[in-house]
Amino acid sequence: MSVKRKGPKATAIRALTYVVLVMVALVVIFPFAVALTTSFKNNDDIFRYPPTLIPREAATIAADQVGAEGEALPLYTLPDAPGSFALIDPDVSVAEFRPLDDLDRVLTLDASAGERTGATVTIDGDEEDVFLIEADGGVIEAYRSRLTSGGLFQNVDDPADTELGLVNFAEPVEQFGARTENFSDVWTDKELGRSLSNTVLVTFAVVIGQIVTSILGGYAFARIDFKGRNGLFMLYLGSVMVPFVVLIIPLFQLMLQFGWLDNLSALIIPFAFTAYGTFLMRQFFVGIPKEIEEAALLDNASRSKILWRIMVPLARPAIATLATFGFLYAWNSFFWPLVIINSGNPEGRVLSLTLSTLGGRSSTDINLVFAGAVIAMTPPILVFLFAQRYFVENSASSGLK
Amino acid sequence: MAAVTFTTVTKEYKGDGPRAVDSLDLEIDDGEFMVLVGPSGCGKSTALRMIAGLEEVSAGELRIGDRVVNDVPPGDRDIAMVFQNYALYPHMTVRANIGFALEVAKVPKAEIKKRTEQAAEMLGLGEYLDRLPKALSGGQRQRVAMGRAIVRSPQVFLMDEPLSNLDAKLRVQMRSEIIRLQKQLGTTMVYVTHDQVEAMTMGHRVAVMRKGVLQQVAPPQELYQRPANLFVAAFIGSPAMNLIRGQLGGTADRPIVTFAQHSLAIDERAIERYPRIRERLGSNVILGTRPEHFAMDGDIDVPDDQKITLHIDLAEAMGAEVHLHATLDVPPVEVEGAQNDDEADDITQGATKVIARVEGVHVVDTGDQVTLAVKTHLAHFFDPATGDPLR
Repeated sequence: MSVKRKGPKATAIRALTYVVLVMVALVVIFPFAVALTTSFKNNDDIFRYPPTLIPREAATIAADQVGAEGEALPLYTLPDAPGSFALIDPDVSVAEFRPLDDLDRVLTLDASAGERTGATVTIDGDEEDVFLIEADGGVIEAYRSRLTSGGLFQNVDDPADTELGLVNFAEPVEQFGARTENFSDVWTDKELGRSLSNTVLVTFAVVIGQIVTSILGGYAFARIDFKGRNGLFMLYLGSVMVPFVVLIIPLFQLMLQFGWLDNLSALIIPFAFTAYGTFLMRQFFVGIPKEIEEAALLDNASRSKILWRIMVPLARPAIATLATFGFLYAWNSFFWPLVIINSGNPEGRVLSLTLSTLGGRSSTDINLVFAGAVIAMTPPILVFLFAQRYFVENSASSGLK
Repeated sequence: MAAVTFTTVTKEYKGDGPRAVDSLDLEIDDGEFMVLVGPSGCGKSTALRMIAGLEEVSAGELRIGDRVVNDVPPGDRDIAMVFQNYALYPHMTVRANIGFALEVAKVPKAEIKKRTEQAAEMLGLGEYLDRLPKALSGGQRQRVAMGRAIVRSPQVFLMDEPLSNLDAKLRVQMRSEIIRLQKQLGTTMVYVTHDQVEAMTMGHRVAVMRKGVLQQVAPPQELYQRPANLFVAAFIGSPAMNLIRGQLGGTADRPIVTFAQHSLAIDERAIERYPRIRERLGSNVILGTRPEHFAMDGDIDVPDDQKITLHIDLAEAMGAEVHLHATLDVPPVEVEGAQNDDEADDITQGATKVIARVEGVHVVDTGDQVTLAVKTHLAHFFDPATGDPLR
């Protein structure tokens, strides 16, 4: 169908089209990318300003590599010394000295360094002792501007080169780092595993239920000539027009009667029947040539054999469409579970409910929220990728070929 | 194998519509190849589907063999049907398609395999057994549909316009194959078509139907030579029989038929076949002459009063023969359903169109005046009021 145009103008138009398409695609992908990368970030990284897309973490070095013991040591770069340094001891007492001939310069030395000369000097109205300290290969006069806590850094490449410095002023070395523990944390701490298995169970049951009931109902409406068929079908179709909010209270009452409150049955049974699916299957069955069925009748096949051996295999595209829609609906449904499942019952929660509890107003575990979101949205995305053919086909033709 | 017998079988649909099939009496003998033919809507397919059990019988009795099958479900009738669109199961291989009925009947697997392959062999489908129907050509699909019927060795084959989806060349080929197959198997065959060439070439006997009513059942040649009424005369034959309104005149010894400015003496042999001509002298008649009942003057020896001079509107050279089209200034005979649409839309509306077939050696141009000899001894005569032959 496509007509290939040629010439510079056509090329320009095509290029422009692609640019626009790519931009739109980027805009659409962006939230997903943020969710995905944030789910791998650690807590510090999340609140970094300006924010970055790629998750980063502080670089470390194994302690024995620098002749120390214990846990891995963080790496820093220091403002005055080249090379990267491991923070061997984060808490040593240090003193800051300022040479008298250059008051803006700060030398960080051990707290015990320096030798009082006994002389004093007045700086900004305060009287300070004068010290002799070793610097620049010699001994210079300086005063001690501050005693504080600092860190002992050791050059990674040269164990003899150690520096004292304030940890705040040292620049941590960062590297790409994905915090996969987010997923295990949210999985175990927030009982996401339980929610996931609930959701899988509910979704599976709803999809199977919808497929079976829609096939049976659709076939009956399409091919079995019973009394009042068309009227019943109209009524059935009409129920599609009723918005779900209208049904919530009566349905809740019904669930109460059945004793299904706070029970997964309430999430499955009412949704295993779908007027939309029945309609979809009916339309597909109507489109299958009657002769195929008649041929099977002449082959002495029973109704059920015709349905399951002939009609259902032929209706695979429609069934796939129905399954995809049913899957997405059941997987993403939030409001009805919220109504039915007691908020104090984590055993009965489905994914959408658990996710909503993760992201409360006071939540600081944004990485966990996103990790949960990524877990929750992966299956629908996979389903969509594999089933999009049926999706597109269906929107175009109601599954008819 | 079995005979199929319709006894005053009627099919009525809900509501007060006309009867799709009206009191059909028809005996199809054991092993016979019976063709049901007629224009669309004549009830031929309905009759076939009643044999299959896909349509209920509203009244009357339908037998297959000795068994009344009015209320027997399709699967229990031991018949096989080939549909116009083949109705293959699209998701099954050729093998599975052919073997499905056997599988349903719980025939052992080895037996299914053997019979399926046998049927495929017979139809030249051996190498396609594991393909899906969509990978086959129209002719091959047609064969698979036949294979599906053959493999069950049913009592009766039913075929509902099985060749109409094929191109002309393939149709001729499949036609002879079906004839061969029927001969080989000896199974009773009921074959529905709207194509009279198929009807004439294939059937042992042909049943012509119109508006649910059976018009005539006869072997093809008899149908052509001795049409039971005006409809059969008009329907069978291509180009169709020329039907001309005229008056009978002359004397009982030497009757003539006049139309427009022309008059033709009627040969004695025609009067022997249509004796009531003598009773009808002076009244209106419909003269039926087939195109081949004409010859160029001089080609055959007929008396001068059996010749007619026509102005030729169109001369179609067909090679072996030339078709000469002429018009006569008499109102046309309209037989509903018998003519093709393109003939009904002719510009010669209000006049009678005549086609004559003469030897191909003659060179005739459009606009020529041509004298034609008419073999009036082969002509047919019908009562214009009832359409019945004057026999």
